[in-house]
Amino acid sequence: MSISALGYINGVHIIPPGRYYDKGYRELFAEAALKALESAGNPDIKAIYIASALSELAGEQMAIGNVLRDYSGIRNAPSIRVENGDGSGGFAFMVALNHVASMNDGCVLLVGVDKPHEVTSLKQNKYASYLLDSDYESYFGATPVVLAALMAKQYMRSYEYKYEDLATWAIKMHERGSKTPFAYFKKAAKLKDVLDSELVADPLRLYDVSPFVDGAAALVLCSKPNSKDQAVGVLGYGFGASNSYFASRNDYTVLMSVTEAVKALNPLNDFNGIVSVHDTYSILGVLALESLGLCKRGSALRLLNEGYFDPGGKVMVNLDGGLKAVGNSMGASGVYQLASVTMQLRGDKPFNGLNAEAAVVEDMVGVDQESVVFMLKVVK
Amino acid sequence: MVDQSLSVPKYWRRIPQYYRLTALKCRKCGRVYFPPRAVCECGSREFDEVELPRRGKLIEFTVLRSVTSDFEKQRPLIFGIVDLNGVRVLGQLVDCPNPEKLSDNTEVEVVFRRVKEDSDYGIIYYGFKLRPVKGCW
Repeated sequence: MSISALGYINGVHIIPPGRYYDKGYRELFAEAALKALESAGNPDIKAIYIASALSELAGEQMAIGNVLRDYSGIRNAPSIRVENGDGSGGFAFMVALNHVASMNDGCVLLVGVDKPHEVTSLKQNKYASYLLDSDYESYFGATPVVLAALMAKQYMRSYEYKYEDLATWAIKMHERGSKTPFAYFKKAAKLKDVLDSELVADPLRLYDVSPFVDGAAALVLCSKPNSKDQAVGVLGYGFGASNSYFASRNDYTVLMSVTEAVKALNPLNDFNGIVSVHDTYSILGVLALESLGLCKRGSALRLLNEGYFDPGGKVMVNLDGGLKAVGNSMGASGVYQLASVTMQLRGDKPFNGLNAEAAVVEDMVGVDQESVVFMLKVVK
Repeated sequence: MVDQSLSVPKYWRRIPQYYRLTALKCRKCGRVYFPPRAVCECGSREFDEVELPRRGKLIEFTVLRSVTSDFEKQRPLIFGIVDLNGVRVLGQLVDCPNPEKLSDNTEVEVVFRRVKEDSDYGIIYYGFKLRPVKGCW
């Protein structure tokens, strides 16, 4: 091993996101956790990290750790729940990573689990509005899509894009999702489908919004790799934040938290490999590419339309179809991204033949509240 | 006992901001914060209360069709960012049946309106909203 990593992802498992009316938090957690542990060779684990945003609101369960652990038969490790909205997964991973980095030899389990479909869509919208400032934004009825729509309008105006240009995000994500076994949307979409879909908050239409899904994804993070010849290691990470009150931000066409977070990594303008961005809304995926420094500001949508971010290229974005196609499992979404990217780096089906050596994963809380960015590499 | 889903103290303590747009002005550098903050960017923690001006310019807006459960009867909602003498505020735009008539630089004024109510028996919540000065018919 020539490169030393902060930690190694030795096992993953993804439950295909969906509407699991027949399963609760505990069933989804147990399935993801036990299969991830099995794939890592059932190591002893020192802690269980749980990423969940809605366990109280939708699941009506506080102190969920012991319920999940007891059901899964995992007795001898403390549970630590991390809640940071739809960025819970990335933030839980950051804490888990620091835990394994402080150990000589040991593993922790990280499970992202959420079930927005325990409640109706009106309630889902209300809970999503809690991602904003509850006193000064959600009070007046604002939701994350309002902020994303305002950013989309400003971006399209500043760089002279038409809505048809933005629609490419949904079309490309649906196309990728159609080849991903665990995607929620497996059907390709045409421009007409996107243009005919209902307006949610102009200019954003239904196809610009990632669908809420129930789901659980798990990974086993260790201080040492379990394979001598090839492993996926986490080389570094960064954290960043923007103003919590949306209107007070200086610029509505940049994700400041992402720009701040990526400073901890080497500049990405020459990056070669896989990128996973947290595209809760199409515009946030586009802006993440620019804010990460993968391309110049104002150019991401043009490059996307030209195929620059397609599979097989230098920078391959959201190979699984992103949150748009895989689904938005709220607190679990970041763990889905990390588990999926690990499979992509390992070349697991259907991601074989990519031969990518490095990946960048960006997870964000709400609309540019806080972000974490990770650098993953195949360590040989 | 009335089934109260929204918190009364959570609303009551923010009345200065909801009704009068009370902001904080830093005594050291003069920067104005809405909503209020405990610490200024310059590091100072000493502020004076100021009310934001009642007129400003619209910067951007969108029409929200998919609302939350508290606003179901008010669908759709128009949201805008307005510049009130250098302080930017997010709020609902009202008295505007034709939002396509709005544009950046539309002049708006602050008005006092009902925001939502807590079912049939709970309290009514009020707050500021924004109205295009010349209408948008």
